[in-house]
Amino acid sequence: MLLRKKDQPLLSAVLFIGMIFCSCSLRAEAVSEQAIQAPVKALHATLLDIMQTVATKNFQERYDIMEATVVEHFNFTLIAKVVLGRYWKTLDDTSRTDFISLFKRLTIATYVDRFDSFNGEHFNNLAIEKMKKNRFMVKTEFIKTNHSPVSFNYIVQNDDAKWQIVSIIANGINDLALKRADYAAVIKNHGFATLTTRLEEKINAVHKNAINNN
Amino acid sequence: MTRCLLFKLQRCLFLVGILLTAAGCATTQTRAAVDDNDPLEPANRVFFNVTDTLDKHLLKPIAESYVEVTPLPVRTSITNFFNNLTYLNVILNDFLQGKFNQGITDILRFTYNSTFGIAGLFDVATPIGMPANDEDFGQTLATWGVGQGAYLYLPFFGPDTVRDATDRVPSSLLNPFFYLSNIVMLPVNALSLINTRARLLEATNFLDEVALDPYSFTREAFLQQRESLIYDGNPPDAGFDDIFGDTGDTDTDSDGSGTLRIE
Repeated sequence: MLLRKKDQPLLSAVLFIGMIFCSCSLRAEAVSEQAIQAPVKALHATLLDIMQTVATKNFQERYDIMEATVVEHFNFTLIAKVVLGRYWKTLDDTSRTDFISLFKRLTIATYVDRFDSFNGEHFNNLAIEKMKKNRFMVKTEFIKTNHSPVSFNYIVQNDDAKWQIVSIIANGINDLALKRADYAAVIKNHGFATLTTRLEEKINAVHKNAINNN
Repeated sequence: MTRCLLFKLQRCLFLVGILLTAAGCATTQTRAAVDDNDPLEPANRVFFNVTDTLDKHLLKPIAESYVEVTPLPVRTSITNFFNNLTYLNVILNDFLQGKFNQGITDILRFTYNSTFGIAGLFDVATPIGMPANDEDFGQTLATWGVGQGAYLYLPFFGPDTVRDATDRVPSSLLNPFFYLSNIVMLPVNALSLINTRARLLEATNFLDEVALDPYSFTREAFLQQRESLIYDGNPPDAGFDDIFGDTGDTDTDSDGSGTLRIE
């Protein structure tokens, strides 16, 4: 089909607009890769920071540093929903808020307790892979001297124009699925109240252990 | 001696017969049935509690003392020695899974460590580009399409599945120590057990620190780790997406178990 002469300016305009959209799209892709990795990079930077300042900062000071990063870069509402599975729907708003708070405190305390020394460790960024919907997997590895690399893969999700971590897979083991199975067993056998009591006990045990080690 | 060996062999073959039958049955299960992968939970929990109690009061304290009195290089060499002895099983399963290049490299690794590494006491193969691989008969069956079957917690042996428990037969038969008398083997097995327990101290301390229901936590971690090994550390990403449900959110009615199974 031949174009009529009077249609040519219209075609040019369409092509021009198309090119602008294409270049914008490419630019957006480039920007989003940075954005996708941002929460993971921030977490790694903070972990290395608290590892290197064990000698100069006490547990509570390192906890406060970790808390700022974790609150900013983890989507705890989504994580809590997934971890509790069908039990989430049975909870009222107060119970949900309480659970999220407990889960957040346990996550932060566990990080500070486990990353408590520094011997030249570092993280390598390996790849980013698209998953379903608005999720990506950011693949990294943790390098320790004289040890095999530990694979740390993060699932990040974009909600409200913000990329946040929603799951961590360490050496093939998904933390979210692990906690989901663990918590479901407690709720099924003992009820939700016991779950929150045990979470509180775990948090206190980590704090006590850390203070004793200091 | 010969009679003892025949008895061991007979016992192994009997066990593999039962397990293969059970594993074969497992492949005919539907996906939904396999998802409910712990039908033996009441018995498993009893065995878990008995083993855990014995471990906390006997094996763990011995392992902690062993770590205190044995320097790390010595423990590393003991670990290398026992790992090297079990490596013939890795080689067999390399070939059974069709990983021929890996199988040849593993033969070289075994030969190199057994000779230059002084009977496997030193891992001289890894630094020259022949790292250890982790293959067993359970993984081989998985690559052949056999389902994992029920989760098992074997008293004193720990977590397993019907499919993966079949590995006890080839791994025993291919271990040179299997053909020695029990009198010789008793102290060797004791050392192997204590050394293995010592290597797991950090992992079990972590378990004590974070698990609210240690039985469920152990089961889930074990099953996920097996899944990861079957895919040589790279399970399909899609399996990790499933936990979020099809809506991209969490409107799933799962009871929280077996969320990542990829059958």
